[in-house]
Amino acid sequence: MNFVKRAWLNLWARKGRSALLILVTAAIMLFVLAGLLLRSAANTAVANAKSSVGATLTLSANREAAFKKMREQMEDQSQDSDSDSKTTPTRPSLTMTPVKLSDAEKIAKLSGIESYNVSVSTSANASGFDAIETSTGTSIMQGGGGFGGKGGFEDNSGDITISGVSSTAGATAFSDGTNTITKGRGLTSDDIGTINVVVETELAKQNDLAVGDTIKLKSLKTDDAAAKSYTVTIVGIYKAKSSSTAQMGPGASDPANTIFTSYSFANTLKGSDAKNTADSVIFTVSTPSKVDSVQKAAKKLINTSKFSIDSNDASYQMVKASMSSVTSFADKIVWLVAIAGTIILALIVILMIRERRFEIGVLLALGERRGKIIAQFFCELLVVLLVAIGLSSAGGQFVGDKLGEQVVASAQTSTTSNSQGGFTRGGGQAPSGEQGQGAPSGQMPGNMGGRTSSQAAMQKQAKLSTRITLKDVGLLTVFGLAIILIAITAGAAGILRLQPKKVLIGS
Amino acid sequence: MLETKDLSYWYTNKDDYLFKDLDLTFDAGISYAIVGESGTGKTTLISLLAGLDKPRAGKILFRGEDIQASGLSNFRRHHVSIVFQAYNLFTYMSALENLMTALSITHSSHNGDRQYAMQMLSKLGLTEEQMKQNVQRLSGGQQRRVAIARAMVCDAPLVVADEPTGNLDEANSDEVMALFNQLAHDQGKCVIIVTHDAAGAAKCDAVLRLKHRELTWQKQPPVPAMVD
Ligand SMILES: Nc1ncnc2c1ncn2[C@@H]1O[C@H](COP(=O)(O)OP(=O)(O)O)[C@@H](O)[C@H]1O
Ligand SMILES: [Mg+2]
Repeated sequence: MNFVKRAWLNLWARKGRSALLILVTAAIMLFVLAGLLLRSAANTAVANAKSSVGATLTLSANREAAFKKMREQMEDQSQDSDSDSKTTPTRPSLTMTPVKLSDAEKIAKLSGIESYNVSVSTSANASGFDAIETSTGTSIMQGGGGFGGKGGFEDNSGDITISGVSSTAGATAFSDGTNTITKGRGLTSDDIGTINVVVETELAKQNDLAVGDTIKLKSLKTDDAAAKSYTVTIVGIYKAKSSSTAQMGPGASDPANTIFTSYSFANTLKGSDAKNTADSVIFTVSTPSKVDSVQKAAKKLINTSKFSIDSNDASYQMVKASMSSVTSFADKIVWLVAIAGTIILALIVILMIRERRFEIGVLLALGERRGKIIAQFFCELLVVLLVAIGLSSAGGQFVGDKLGEQVVASAQTSTTSNSQGGFTRGGGQAPSGEQGQGAPSGQMPGNMGGRTSSQAAMQKQAKLSTRITLKDVGLLTVFGLAIILIAITAGAAGILRLQPKKVLIGS
Repeated sequence: MLETKDLSYWYTNKDDYLFKDLDLTFDAGISYAIVGESGTGKTTLISLLAGLDKPRAGKILFRGEDIQASGLSNFRRHHVSIVFQAYNLFTYMSALENLMTALSITHSSHNGDRQYAMQMLSKLGLTEEQMKQNVQRLSGGQQRRVAIARAMVCDAPLVVADEPTGNLDEANSDEVMALFNQLAHDQGKCVIIVTHDAAGAAKCDAVLRLKHRELTWQKQPPVPAMVD
């Protein structure tokens, strides 16, 4: 009849009390488990986001270095003007070197790079057909946006946006679902060097264009080149998501005016200097976890003072940011419940020890070691804990699911309302006529799109991962053990101080 | 077997002592009764003898060694069986389990021997059914017998009891006292019983009376039958 057996006899003989103790412990464990599940769901969502959206590297001009250079020029000039005040300082220029395709090809050969997509943006003027005029609603916003209307753009910007790509399927605008090919075909690597283009369905409708038709595009005249006219062939028609039109910021041109061409043709439109260059090249890394090492290797191949290669983890950061609130909430749940549970169980243990003073007194009178009496209480709580963990694991799935849905939903509502709030402020200023006060730029629709899709992914992932794993149960057991250990320690003082004489003799 | 040397005890105030400089000897095979008015310090004295409390002054020797030397808990575990008026049994156990627990804690030579424990209980008049049901379902007299049986199964050579016949009718009291005498005479244990039952005390081999801070032999102990 050692202490383990005594513990068991005691639990068995006092079934009602044991059942109550199990219920209380199960309730505490249930909340801890819910917190743990929520936490791991959030962590999984972040990890998934990393593997699903973090797998690209973007090669582009090093803006930071370019700006730094410009600042240095300005400083040099101010020093020069001290010594020779008569020279009129030339305006410092921001020169950003376009990416060389040969560099891109070198990087593409690195192991770990699956594919790459070149993108060149420029603009051109429609010739013989009309670009989409902005709608009344948008023109109000444009007017208020402080961009000076269309007139301001005319010298350096055409009415058609040219997006040169390696292939439309590989371009972000298509891969993220914003644009879809509806007629004909998209551009592929076979179209490099050709004059094949893909136009938007609204533009096609307005100008009565169909697959196989040709249109004329005029390049913009520059200081050293006159405008040239090019005849291009429409091989496909795409549809842009109408929502992005609605989400357009002021000052951005209608997305329907975007014509996709091969990057080589876009370079042709840009001018002879642009041959074999790109604005940016996006590399797809086959294994997301290798992004960092591939990035390091790529850096060695390029002139980092002129170019930068960044891992594109904006979406990942977004998911991470919105999940970090879930994580911290889950952390708080876990700790609050653990602390509250510890206090509750400690009080129960203290009460239990007081209630069982006589039993303890008899044990002490028989000469039982105090440590073994404490061990008996620990065993009793351990059995209670194990049953409680079993119960809460069974119930935890349900609670975890519900809580996960709730929290993910509220996280979404808050991020959505934040972004919408920001947007409404920008648009809302328009009627008042205030100008240029941080109005959202043309980047807005892209960001919005990214956020919406990552939220969808996030919800799906959070839902998927509120499954109870062995690891969760293990962690729960660790928490439970810690809780009963602390509770027993708190109660043990009562056992250690207990004088058998006082108990047995009473007064 | 058990000796007190200059044993003194007081609760709050040294001048307000219950007893002072006691020199007593208790021998094996003899039953001792301690009698006296309520509040004279009988329970206090027997707690000291049982190793439940420490003397204020003086010491208690068991087989010539101070009982505090190797720890009171150790002393209780190996050398004393205590029978108190109440709260003596584990209420969540059967009579048999109570005995088994005691055998285990005291590291008895009969540890784990259910047959032995059952023999002892049936000797004290419990049926097999009664042994295996929860002790709280037994009568007061039966519970008392279980407590005594527990003292009997253990190897401890010293048995102390505080008012073991309290709340018992005369017939039951006589039976309990007879059992204690058996423990002393048949098993050669040293039995010390506090009681205010004069008839019960008279059945013991020796009687000590505690009165006005004085302890006197009301009935002198016989020459020890057995020396350990
Ligand atoms: N814990 C205590 N603190 C202070 N005084 C006590 C305590 N226990 C007992 N006493 C006092 O000591 C005296 C002896 O008590 P006790 O040994 O129980 O006597 P008896 O058992 O002979 O009735 C009583 O006067 C009692 O009030
Ligand atoms: Mg008393």
